[in-house]
Amino acid sequence: MVRRWLRAGAFSAVVAAGLASPRPVQADAQADEYRVKAAFLYKFGSYIEWPSGSFASADSPVTIGVMGAEALAEELAQIVAGRNVNGRPVRVRRLRPGDPIAGLHVLFVGRADGGRLAEILAAARGQALLTVTESDEGLELGSMINFVVVEDKVRFDIAPPPSESSNVKISARLLGVARKVVSKSS
Amino acid sequence: MKLPSPRSLRQKLLGMVLVITLVSLIVALGAIIGYDLRAYHRVLVSDMTTQAELLGRTIAPALAFDDTKVAKENLSLLRFRPLVSSAAVYNARGALFATYARKDDPHAFPKLPEADNVRVDERDLVLFKRIVSDGEILGTVYLRADYELFPRVYDYLGIAAVVLIAAMLVALLMSSWMQKIVTRPILAIAQVAREVVGQRDYSRRAVKMSADEVGTLVDSFNDMLTEIDRRTRELEASNAKLAQEAEERSRADREILRLNAELENRVRERTAQLETANRELESFSYSVSHDLRAPLRAIDGFGQALLDDFPEHLPGDAKRYLSRIRSSTQHMAQLIEDLLKLARVSRGPLERRTVDLAQIARQVIAELQQGEPGRAVEVSIWDGMRAEGDPHLLRAAFDNLIGNAWKFTSKSAEPRIEIGALKDHGHTTYFVRDNGAGFEMAYADKLFGAFQRLHSTNEYSGTGIGLATVQRIVHRHGGRIWAEAEVGKGAVFFFTLEAATEAPADERTVAKKAHG
Repeated sequence: MVRRWLRAGAFSAVVAAGLASPRPVQADAQADEYRVKAAFLYKFGSYIEWPSGSFASADSPVTIGVMGAEALAEELAQIVAGRNVNGRPVRVRRLRPGDPIAGLHVLFVGRADGGRLAEILAAARGQALLTVTESDEGLELGSMINFVVVEDKVRFDIAPPPSESSNVKISARLLGVARKVVSKSS
Repeated sequence: MKLPSPRSLRQKLLGMVLVITLVSLIVALGAIIGYDLRAYHRVLVSDMTTQAELLGRTIAPALAFDDTKVAKENLSLLRFRPLVSSAAVYNARGALFATYARKDDPHAFPKLPEADNVRVDERDLVLFKRIVSDGEILGTVYLRADYELFPRVYDYLGIAAVVLIAAMLVALLMSSWMQKIVTRPILAIAQVAREVVGQRDYSRRAVKMSADEVGTLVDSFNDMLTEIDRRTRELEASNAKLAQEAEERSRADREILRLNAELENRVRERTAQLETANRELESFSYSVSHDLRAPLRAIDGFGQALLDDFPEHLPGDAKRYLSRIRSSTQHMAQLIEDLLKLARVSRGPLERRTVDLAQIARQVIAELQQGEPGRAVEVSIWDGMRAEGDPHLLRAAFDNLIGNAWKFTSKSAEPRIEIGALKDHGHTTYFVRDNGAGFEMAYADKLFGAFQRLHSTNEYSGTGIGLATVQRIVHRHGGRIWAEAEVGKGAVFFFTLEAATEAPADERTVAKKAHG
């Protein structure tokens, strides 16, 4: 318990340090941003409900696919090591465009692959998959959560999928901390 | 034994009811208050813990995604819980993340969170609760709520005081009304008892008001009064009777005293008359006896002269008749002599001096032996017998007593006479014992009367005046004389020479000693 507390403290210190003060150096700012986004990405898992069929067994891992954001993938791999989401271990899978997305529970598409965003999101539609992006048009293209940076702080907007079109349910508590919630008409 | 203060039964009952009511109320109120305060504490702690958990869960996303604004919004919902005076959320590093404070709250927020705990800090309940999600500590919720235990205690004390006063008043009214049911019959008995004792009127009766133990008491009390009444009457009657009897007795006593006095007077008169008559009689018999001697001497003398001077003229019968005449004459002379002695004993003053009785006894024996030299009698005379008395009279007494012994042992095989004295308790009893003819004890009373002979003159000579003379001598000395005897075995004559103070029973012991 003590160890876990210390570990959690160390992690939080890293996150908070990133949040507390904007760095003058652009590279550092970029690294901090990805560090926070990785942490958020991991934490989203706690507020998402997947259909029971999407897991092979009770202790099957939650798989997070990262596309076009190598730095974030690295951060995320460090964060999830030894951690659980809803009692399940977390696994990070790095993807390139065109890689199959079956078996994923969370899919993050970074700016590097922004050009193919519409295509990727279209493929993910209808799957039991939480899609997260960091593009201005992410939500319009069908992403569920989209990171934004407001006043040097990482925030996110949420567009909850229509209940009939997706099997993923986003907790209202997560909606509560979103910068804004966009309801899709389609 | 010290009696308790003289309170009436009514007051005691009232006091008892009030004390019991008070104690019961205090215990009941204490229990209720204690239970309620404990419940209050538990409910409050549980409520606040739940509140903190809820808050933690609500605020967890805000913490997770570092959204202070949302956290503040979440916390501000506490305004609907006015009990909570201030609240705060610390992040995982222990830094303040968001705060909430009621307007009136003066407390500063703790700089650092604490581990999970609930405590009472002065008038507040302070609570720290960690927010844990998926095994990770996201932060800590801090709550400070009004802990109203003490105001509650004061409220309760006030309520308890009001309840106590009200209940006591009700109890006072109820019991003062109800205790009459119990005390009225008892007080009625007490009143009757006071009157009975005060007025000594045992005809009073208590009224029975109930059929319970008090009713039984009333019945018993009335029965007791009836019994006392009856006994008092009996006692009074008996007292009156006794008083009457005592009156009668004292009257009888007075009568007896009066009669006694009269009798004494009469006795005195009679005694005086008798004494006079006696003196005259003695004087007369003395003169007669004295004057009778001269003619008797003449008869005897001339009878003797007739025998001496004319022996040849007298036939044998005449001589024998003359002898009989002379013998009778001499006997009569002896009689007269004895009577004169008896008279002399009674007359003349009594002389008192020390007399050696042993010597007198020896003289008497010597004279008797001289008169009958042929007789051999074993005589034993104790030495040192001294007495205070008249020597002539005592000599006369011994003459008679020893003479009797001598005379009545004349037919014994081994005649023996013993003269002695026994001392007992300072009194001396003298005795003369023989083993002669003796006499029947049935006649012991008649021994000392004049002319009372127990043996015929043919058997033993004598006039029958001797023991009367002895008795008179002993009486004149103030003593007593008595005898014991058995026919054929002998007799003992006892006498004393001083007024006997001892009871007659002592005579027996003395007699036994003398015999032994």
